[in-house]
Amino acid sequence: MQQANRLRPFFENITFDRDDNELILNFGPQHPSAHGQLRLMLHLQQEQITKAHPDIGYLHRGMEKMAENMIYNEFMPTTDRMDYIASSSNNYGFALAVEKLIGLDVPRRAKVIRMMLLETNRLMSHLFWLATTALDIGAMTVFLFAFREREYLMDLIEDYCGARLTHAAIRIGGVPLDLPDNFIADLRKFLDKLPENIKDYEDLLDTNRIWLMRMENVGVISTEMALSWGCSGVMLRASGVEWDIRKEEPYELYDEVDFNVPVSDKGDNYARYKLYMAEMRESAKILYQVIDMYEGTEPALMAHAPQYISAPKIDIMTQNYSLMQHFVLVTQGMRPPVGEVYIATESPKGELGFYINSQGGAYPYRLKLRAPSFWHTGILTDLLPGHYIPDVVSIIGTTNIVFGEVDR
Amino acid sequence: MAQHQVNYLKDGGLPVALTTIDKVVNWGRSNSIWALTYGLACCGIEMMASGASRYDFDRFGTIFRASPRQAELMVVAGTLTKKHAEFIRRLYDQMTEPKWVISMGSCANTGGMFNTYATVQGVDRVIPVDLYLPGCAPRPETLQYAVLLLQQKIRKESASRAQKPKRLM
Amino acid sequence: MRAYTPKDDVQKKPYYTDRYWVAPQVAKSDVSEDAVFAADLEAIKAKFDVLDAYIQVGQMVVVINAVDNFSVIEMMKNVLAYNQLSEMSAIDWLASEGKFEIFYQMLSMSKRKRVRIKCKIGEKESIQSVEKLFRSADWSEREMYDMFGVVVNNHPFMKRILMPDDWEGFPLRKTYPLQGDEFAQWYEVDKIFGKEAREIIGPENRDPARIDRYDTERFARLGHEVPHGTDISQGEPDTPLCYQENDGVFMIEKFDAEKSVVISDRHR
Repeated sequence: MQQANRLRPFFENITFDRDDNELILNFGPQHPSAHGQLRLMLHLQQEQITKAHPDIGYLHRGMEKMAENMIYNEFMPTTDRMDYIASSSNNYGFALAVEKLIGLDVPRRAKVIRMMLLETNRLMSHLFWLATTALDIGAMTVFLFAFREREYLMDLIEDYCGARLTHAAIRIGGVPLDLPDNFIADLRKFLDKLPENIKDYEDLLDTNRIWLMRMENVGVISTEMALSWGCSGVMLRASGVEWDIRKEEPYELYDEVDFNVPVSDKGDNYARYKLYMAEMRESAKILYQVIDMYEGTEPALMAHAPQYISAPKIDIMTQNYSLMQHFVLVTQGMRPPVGEVYIATESPKGELGFYINSQGGAYPYRLKLRAPSFWHTGILTDLLPGHYIPDVVSIIGTTNIVFGEVDR
Repeated sequence: MAQHQVNYLKDGGLPVALTTIDKVVNWGRSNSIWALTYGLACCGIEMMASGASRYDFDRFGTIFRASPRQAELMVVAGTLTKKHAEFIRRLYDQMTEPKWVISMGSCANTGGMFNTYATVQGVDRVIPVDLYLPGCAPRPETLQYAVLLLQQKIRKESASRAQKPKRLM
Repeated sequence: MRAYTPKDDVQKKPYYTDRYWVAPQVAKSDVSEDAVFAADLEAIKAKFDVLDAYIQVGQMVVVINAVDNFSVIEMMKNVLAYNQLSEMSAIDWLASEGKFEIFYQMLSMSKRKRVRIKCKIGEKESIQSVEKLFRSADWSEREMYDMFGVVVNNHPFMKRILMPDDWEGFPLRKTYPLQGDEFAQWYEVDKIFGKEAREIIGPENRDPARIDRYDTERFARLGHEVPHGTDISQGEPDTPLCYQENDGVFMIEKFDAEKSVVISDRHR
């Protein structure tokens, strides 16, 4: 029994009242291969797209407004829900921006742990990308394989912080916890197996005829277009621009580790796929180096800055002044200096930036989240025309957009 | 040629089971709950994980379908925003009876941490909900337990019950 | 007497302020300290009015007049090799000075430098679009219009992007409350069921901490499940977690915890 309300059912997906043979197709906002809540209005000439109009905002939750009403530490869990495939990279971007604002340096062990979290998150994100894109194109096996590996990574993260998806594993001024006992051994075990797994995926996909037809020369982004649309990350590197913020503007310990930045000048879906696979190998390489760095670091995990950062738990429990300071920081929040900062980090999706305007209060005056996926969705306006309907799915797949951060 | 002779009266009875229509129908319904993929945000990822290799939802007879016409369960996984609200209602109306709704995660239950202008404060303002799943995001095990609870609920109902108008209009 | 709440800024305020506390400043250094920035600034100064310029946290900030925004950014792109507009948006200063501040965050990949161009416009004024120079500004400017109501001239499609088209108000203005005005709070009900359903559905529960432990209409706890609406003020029964009914399900093998295997090494 249909229940009466104002939304009378009708053929909302198709309009027939055009004379010029142009069909307008509505795609989304709840489409299984839209990777979230993307709505596309596609103008079609036969099966070819003549005009594409992405409509976003279906996951707009008002994070920037929330930030203006929250103390800095309170906002940290909210950043998890931006790019929820790789939460720690958002946590890190925010923590780094606030640290730059208050001029703080983080202990070395915290840096090592952060690097580990960032790179495991990158692996998780790329595996998830591979799984969903392959599923969209029809490769169910790769979906199941990639999710299997991703679950092992989730176990590792769970061992570290207790959460699978929304980690909140990084604090302003350091990290909350040291690594658990089995973490490094488990991580090593995973990494030793990873090249084999990546080879499995590549064997299934690289020369697969269907995969090649859906990927090669589809969704070609020229260098000018990528730069003009503000693309970053793999989207930019696949179009022939060698720009990786980890290399060019190194943060944390990225200047101490040795890794390559894979670049391609093809700009099509297949190039992006190859770059994701290459980046997974590079991440594994970084992780091996970071594991070695962990040994012999000092045990301190949080920076010492009594004005902004709470003391370690043991001090809070034993020393009166630390307790008072902790109480003030938790109830009133830290008050960073007056000023503004824009810090970009290389998240798995691209350039993740945080702009913070502080007026010396406990709440940011303005916080702007620069999410890479926002522009990677915008480029669909220019990218899709000329392609056919089935290509839409593979193009959306390789742009690797996550709607938590598109709409914020 | 081998002769197969089964004496039904002697070896374990006739291949006949006596039961009620209710039980048969509910047995079928409860063990083949096809869910509409309604991944909205982070919980949608956990919903995918519960359908993927480790958690393997298929063993409970739950298969994710992309069309509301083929689905009888809507797992609302993630934050529902005001802009999206009319679409969820429209898709809910398109699902065929009987239909059930699981609200997965804090955002879908109450708006959760997003107590803002853009978020619907609980999907039960828009569609009737049968089961609320706590967590942010709930683990795949939690979703599976919720589906098992829903199965119990289905088996308790009358199969031919008249669809009572639910709370929302 | 009711406490006075300012109408021009309804954002959350700290409950405690120390009136003797002077906020420190993030250090600003002179542009001449960095040769690349100094040269860029000279080039801008030669053609346009620069109201202020300094380096903060490694990035140059240049304050210009709002009328120059298109030509300055054109020069930044074509002459000074700032090839990406990473971000642009507005800041609401309406309460203190009646103006919006608009910033353009630019990146030069060849110089590895980031510059922030800022300008201020009044509430009713509009600004020139830079969409012709950077396509990324297409969506940023729409977002800025959506969130602040800053109108951008010469933009190809000046419509809301994140909020629905029929939305009222500009959410990121300081006068807009976090939890929305009345229009926002009833938006989905009005749209789906109509205004007449407001009374039936009732207002939103905006108190995140409201839990009534005896309310079995809305809440249940695992292990203490009771039928819907039971009165539990006199205590509640324990119900063990169960995956199936006690008497079993037709044709389905009952789960037996003792027969199940726990895998010790999850990494194969």
